[in-house]
Amino acid sequence: MAQKEYDTYVLTDLDAVPDERQNVEIIIRDLNPEDRRTKYRSFFAKANVSKDKSKYSDVLWIRLGRGQLQDEPWSIEVLEEVNKFA
Amino acid sequence: MSYNCPKDNRVFMKLLEESGDMITIDQEVDWDMEMGAITRKVCEEQAPSPYFKKIKDYPGFESLGAPMATYRRLAIAMGMDADSSIPDIAAEYVKRTKEEPIDPVTIDKKDAPCKDNILLGDDANLFHLPGPMVHGGDGGRYLATWHFVVTKDPDTQDINWGMYRMMVFDEKTMVGPVLPFSDMGKMFHGKYAPKNEPMPFAAVLSADPMSSLASCAPSPIPEDKFTGQLMGEPVELVQCETCDLMVPATAEIIIEGEVIPGIQIEEAPFGEYTGYRTSPRDPRTVYRIKAITYRNNPIMMISNMGMPVDEGQLLRSFSLGLEMHKLLESQGIPITGVYMLPESTHHLVVVGVKRCYTGVATQIGNLIYGSKLSPWFHLTIVVDEDTDIYSKDAVIHALSTKCHPIKDIHKYENQPGTPLNPFASPAERKTSTGSKALFDCTFPLDWPTSDLPIRVSFDNVYPQEIQDKVNANWEKFGYK
Ligand SMILES: Cc1cc2nc3c(=O)[nH]c(=O)nc-3n(C[C@H](O)[C@H](O)[C@H](O)COP(=O)(O)O)c2cc1C
Repeated sequence: MAQKEYDTYVLTDLDAVPDERQNVEIIIRDLNPEDRRTKYRSFFAKANVSKDKSKYSDVLWIRLGRGQLQDEPWSIEVLEEVNKFA
Repeated sequence: MSYNCPKDNRVFMKLLEESGDMITIDQEVDWDMEMGAITRKVCEEQAPSPYFKKIKDYPGFESLGAPMATYRRLAIAMGMDADSSIPDIAAEYVKRTKEEPIDPVTIDKKDAPCKDNILLGDDANLFHLPGPMVHGGDGGRYLATWHFVVTKDPDTQDINWGMYRMMVFDEKTMVGPVLPFSDMGKMFHGKYAPKNEPMPFAAVLSADPMSSLASCAPSPIPEDKFTGQLMGEPVELVQCETCDLMVPATAEIIIEGEVIPGIQIEEAPFGEYTGYRTSPRDPRTVYRIKAITYRNNPIMMISNMGMPVDEGQLLRSFSLGLEMHKLLESQGIPITGVYMLPESTHHLVVVGVKRCYTGVATQIGNLIYGSKLSPWFHLTIVVDEDTDIYSKDAVIHALSTKCHPIKDIHKYENQPGTPLNPFASPAERKTSTGSKALFDCTFPLDWPTSDLPIRVSFDNVYPQEIQDKVNANWEKFGYK
């Protein structure tokens, strides 16, 4: 399967985010879905996230609160989608 | 009496095309920023509205950008000549809004174009619609940028139509800011949410132009009646599929659902009317959808907010200024006119007043800053009848020469203000707190006539016969 790309918004100081996080819940946007009509679909995900871009197979781009895209992506492994309205 | 306003978006578009105020783009355009970029350039150059015939990934859907971003398009929407002057359009608005509100009428579902296609259950999927990525850097796709949200007050049964932006989160969820002082904010946060009750809503995407104008105007009249007042005839409504709310029958797309209490989801950033991305990504109000209905070949409108002038800035300046006009007039203040500059992103208003009594400028400030209109603007310039309120040059001249920097600038603190103000501190944004200033550009009345400066201009310091002679010979001298 082709590498997946997501992005997420970090609303706190980037340096305060731990380098490695296991099983965290974050909101991510799908940047390269199979059906292009669903590009930017957001979802709550349980995921492992690393600031090391080669740790997990999928790419996680980082944006700040006003949309500022950071130069270097992080990496992510999505464990499951969390449905808040089940 | 009907004012011949286009009652259907498609009639409006025909008029725009005939007057040269719309151009048709047959090439395929991408919903992912390209449509937004074209619309942005159109706003910044005050060019004709772009009518997109072919949208990538979405065959059968069309779009219209910047539907009302010029006074010409506003005049056409009001059933007036495209070349009408701003004071004439303003006078017409004030005249119409002093007439009685007109109740809407209900039409049968089978006669309502917005019911051509009905999607329910799993079929009601927001990705079925070509929600644009309006600006680079936006937090998501904004389906609702030129639209309104219909809700009903549970106590009074009054209807509210308000334009509150909506970002697509997933196939069933939209999110957006509903400010606490807005009518929908008071309804949802004040009445439904405390009882933990979901609030039914219908988002009307791309309605006729007068309904859109009404829904972003700060009028106290329920907007379904206010639209009738602006058109001089009733607006035609039809009932929703999943609740008892009513929506304009000729609207292009309707999204029905519920506003959900007890949960907020991250929304934004978004290019906003101030010309900046100001509001950060933050948890905001959640809309869950149940149904989508739309016309055949629906034409979705896009407003692209950013650097002036877009339709939000133009129409909000127009209606905010004129509601102030009516408020001041109703209080017997001898105003000569009110003009809010769209280029100021509806932050700066010029009020013209006759030289009458000491303190009239601060009285004007107290009235308009004390009104429901106040969160949205914070700079007021009061000039006397010597200054043309519609001339930016004349207003800047009056401000620079008649306003004493200490005595004539009045400050108002701890006022309501929008969290979207780029200058507001993070703390002020959290509590929607604002500050205001008033610039009194009238000469004090207690100065003896002999002390009053005389404006030195062609029309003021030469006898009429000299002016007439110069004017009569002007072209003969070689001037154009
Ligand atoms: C394009 C556009 C988008 C707007 N988005 C919002 C919004 O997201 N939230 C909000 O509270 N007001 C928003 N406004 C302002 C309201 O539409 C405006 O205050 C309107 O008069 C609604 O008034 P009411 O809440 O007093 O009925 C927007 C206006 C425009 C023109």
